[in-house]
Amino acid sequence: MELSEFVQEGLQYLADSGYFNDKAFAVMIEVAFRSLLLSSSDDTVLDNNELKHIEQTVVKHCHSAVTTCILECVKQNADRSTICTCLEDIRFDPERIDTFCSLYQKHKKDLENVLSSIGRGLPHINDASWRLEYQIKNSHLHKVNQPSYLITLSTENSGSRSAEEVNFSCNMEQLQVRALRLSWKEASPATNVLHDNKITFIYFF
Amino acid sequence: MLLVLSDEHKEHLGFLPEVDSAVVGEFGRIAVEFLRKGSNPKIYEGAASKSSSASLICIKLFMYHIIFMPVQTCLALTGKLNVTAEIVQHGVEGLMYLLSESSKLMISEVDFQDSVLVLGFSEELNKLLLQLYLENRKEIRLILSELAPSMPHYHNLEWRLDAQLASRALRQQVKPVLNLKLQLDDNGTRRTHLLQTDPATLLHLIQELERALAEVKTNHCRRILRNIK
Repeated sequence: MELSEFVQEGLQYLADSGYFNDKAFAVMIEVAFRSLLLSSSDDTVLDNNELKHIEQTVVKHCHSAVTTCILECVKQNADRSTICTCLEDIRFDPERIDTFCSLYQKHKKDLENVLSSIGRGLPHINDASWRLEYQIKNSHLHKVNQPSYLITLSTENSGSRSAEEVNFSCNMEQLQVRALRLSWKEASPATNVLHDNKITFIYFF
Repeated sequence: MLLVLSDEHKEHLGFLPEVDSAVVGEFGRIAVEFLRKGSNPKIYEGAASKSSSASLICIKLFMYHIIFMPVQTCLALTGKLNVTAEIVQHGVEGLMYLLSESSKLMISEVDFQDSVLVLGFSEELNKLLLQLYLENRKEIRLILSELAPSMPHYHNLEWRLDAQLASRALRQQVKPVLNLKLQLDDNGTRRTHLLQTDPATLLHLIQELERALAEVKTNHCRRILRNIK
């Protein structure tokens, strides 16, 4: 796992008891995980009594270094031994490595979810609304007497975070969700297969 | 419900009893073609190539020239039929209006006959007009329905199941993704929407749409559908 010089420097500060005592270290690691997992950004995340006596530029440097390191570990799906090797190279104490690893294990799943939601893709359908109407007549034709549906698909584009809607009308025959039901029947066993083979996939790659 | 014909309309249709029924039939066919596609000279050439009476050929060339040639040339042909181009045009337009209004209101046979009775045509002509109406009303209604204001209309849905394995932000994923290609028709133009969803949302969408379908079978909707006819 490769970490840039900036990140390594920041982690070296963290490894140094002269800068961060044990309590400050624990607080710093907690703060780093919290700032990654909180849905809203918190400007006061570094406003902690334990960190007040340390030079603020060092605190900021360490904070960005730790968060980068955490994200890199989650991205690469690093296991405990990889993280230990990496932190030992930066001269972390075994206790500090343990603290880091236990918090990492605790929050790994949530961080994976956050990272998997980042990225480009097609507009993602979130919801569908529908309206059933009965057409009686219009300016060109009387006695239409046809039921029809107006469907609105709400989509979200993760790249731009904009919500768009796709509106269309259809009749009953078209709404027969055969196409969708078919795709669900196909998708459902397939996704089970995918889940079962997840481990195989990891080893394969 | 009776069709109310204006005086001008009656005047335009007044030309029809003066020609024989074969000619009226031809006018009717041309009127339906106008409603269907607008003018098309090939129809007239094709019709002219079949054997028919001289007066019929004149009328066909007539209709062609009414649209494509100056009035003077038309007038040169009018001598054969002893009518003006304007009268023939009005006759056909009158027929078109009669057919389209009757189809729009979906009037019954009896009502149509009663409406046409007021024109004072012969029994044979009335029968001819009724037959023309009944044969073509479904198609005319279809054409009229295309004029109505409409939303983008569903055309086709294709789907594809993929598994996302990695992205820039996260390696070693196994994320099922369903890609959808939704084709919509909007006043003749086709738009394609590429969308995606995940299996859980897909299930929710299916449940929601099934609820929508079930709604039309409820007593309330059945009552409305039954009673508004």
